[in-house]
Amino acid sequence: MSLLDRPLGAQAQAIAAGEGDPAELLEQTLARFEQRNPALNAVIATFPEQSREMLREAPDGPLHGVPVVIKDEWPLPWRAQQFGASRSFAAFEPGESGVYRALRDAGAVIAGVANMHELGSSSTGNTSVYGPAHNPWDLERCPGGSSSGPGSAVGGRLVAAAVGADGIGSIRYPAAYCGVTGLKPTFGRSAMAGHHLAPVTTTIVSGPLATDAAGCRLLGSVLFGEELPAGDAAGLRIGVVRGPISEDCQPAVREACEAAIEALRAETGGEVTEVDPDGLDLSGIASILVGSTESVGAITPGFLNAVGDELSIVNRALLKYRLLLPHAAVARAALMRAHLRRSLAEVFKQVDVLAWPTVPAVAPPLTEPVVELPSGLHSADEVNPRGGGLANLTGTPAVSVPVGFGEGGLPIGLQLEGAWGSDALLLDAAEALERATERRWVDALPPIAEPLSAQEAEAAPN
Amino acid sequence: MEASESFESFVPAALASLGVEADETDLAVMAGAHALYWPAIVELFEANFAALPEPGQDLSRAPVDE
Repeated sequence: MSLLDRPLGAQAQAIAAGEGDPAELLEQTLARFEQRNPALNAVIATFPEQSREMLREAPDGPLHGVPVVIKDEWPLPWRAQQFGASRSFAAFEPGESGVYRALRDAGAVIAGVANMHELGSSSTGNTSVYGPAHNPWDLERCPGGSSSGPGSAVGGRLVAAAVGADGIGSIRYPAAYCGVTGLKPTFGRSAMAGHHLAPVTTTIVSGPLATDAAGCRLLGSVLFGEELPAGDAAGLRIGVVRGPISEDCQPAVREACEAAIEALRAETGGEVTEVDPDGLDLSGIASILVGSTESVGAITPGFLNAVGDELSIVNRALLKYRLLLPHAAVARAALMRAHLRRSLAEVFKQVDVLAWPTVPAVAPPLTEPVVELPSGLHSADEVNPRGGGLANLTGTPAVSVPVGFGEGGLPIGLQLEGAWGSDALLLDAAEALERATERRWVDALPPIAEPLSAQEAEAAPN
Repeated sequence: MEASESFESFVPAALASLGVEADETDLAVMAGAHALYWPAIVELFEANFAALPEPGQDLSRAPVDE
């Protein structure tokens, strides 16, 4: 197996031990982009000279010489973010974001910028000024949003890890759809300086997506600026809930998640307890109301009238609708946020993690992101926040872990959500799940990343 | 009130009052969003919970008992 195909930690260790050449790894990564990215459209900008410069100047650090990609949501010194759009309500300029500084100081090499859903406004990733990123397991399926490029790039093994951002599930949805591990950190723990919404947001965090939990721990530690120590999650107390969040799911999703929860319990010698956080059913709408109005102060009628065709029809209309959301509803959502934080604080006295499907269905088609659930047909954007919004609303951390395959051979993700500051424990639990399943799901490769047979390799163009 | 009724009685007038232009496509997309979100918003208003604010809310930590 080439160094490029190994997990993030193995890449870093090999380079640190002098067993891997980081210059060669970077060139292999850029060549991999050339080879696979035309199909995936996960990486929308490369800058080989700046990447090579980063490598030349890379300090010894935990990610020395390791290539990663970064979502189109942060400025770089040589490139302004575009937020997946040709026009936004904020002005973007090149600069040193906190994420950039954290990566640079850890010795990482930014090999490219990853695609994202236009303005970060959907869980599907099917709209972007660059065209959508594609799901590596089925190119006609959604990669998830809004961190569509990071999910697709890691799932397609363009890189072992990527930096995403999560406002209402935007790291965890792509992680689930693309079969990778994604951590939404506790609010305020990971680098956010330089993000255009950092001064106003109470929901968005930066976070890692990686091929495995150890990769998320390594990249997460860099983004946190502090080590996320490894433990064994022994005696893990797992909370499960009844109701739509865990039951109104595609049967294969429900079965895979239930099997994973039992495997996690057995591996950690823990216990499973049914809990009922009061207000949980309204966490989705409350997170949408809070998250979608944080930036509304920058959206003016003048901007909306001038934007014309520079945004997709859907986003143009949704921005107009967002302007009209009643302030009383937003205030009510803020009260629900306080209520849910208290509810969760009580629940986390009884359990260490809450577990339910990250999303209720596997990745829907790019052209029509609709999912069929026991309750009927729904837009993916309607049902995904039901399990994903709680962590953003309350500030708690959550991780999505691959736990199987469903309809069409598409990946399934289990979400584990913990108490404030329990980011490391969530990764311990994710690693326990990997052990319990002998890494079956995290090491599975999509067709685009399957190694070529000797015959195919010989026949392939140089 | 059905979501479609509340949309018709609220959205076009609110847009006009703000001077926001909206064509038929915009209105159709907004109607879809309204149908999706408005029932949940009504449910949020009707929910029975202890609606107490959290002074000094720090989202990086558990709530502190007042």
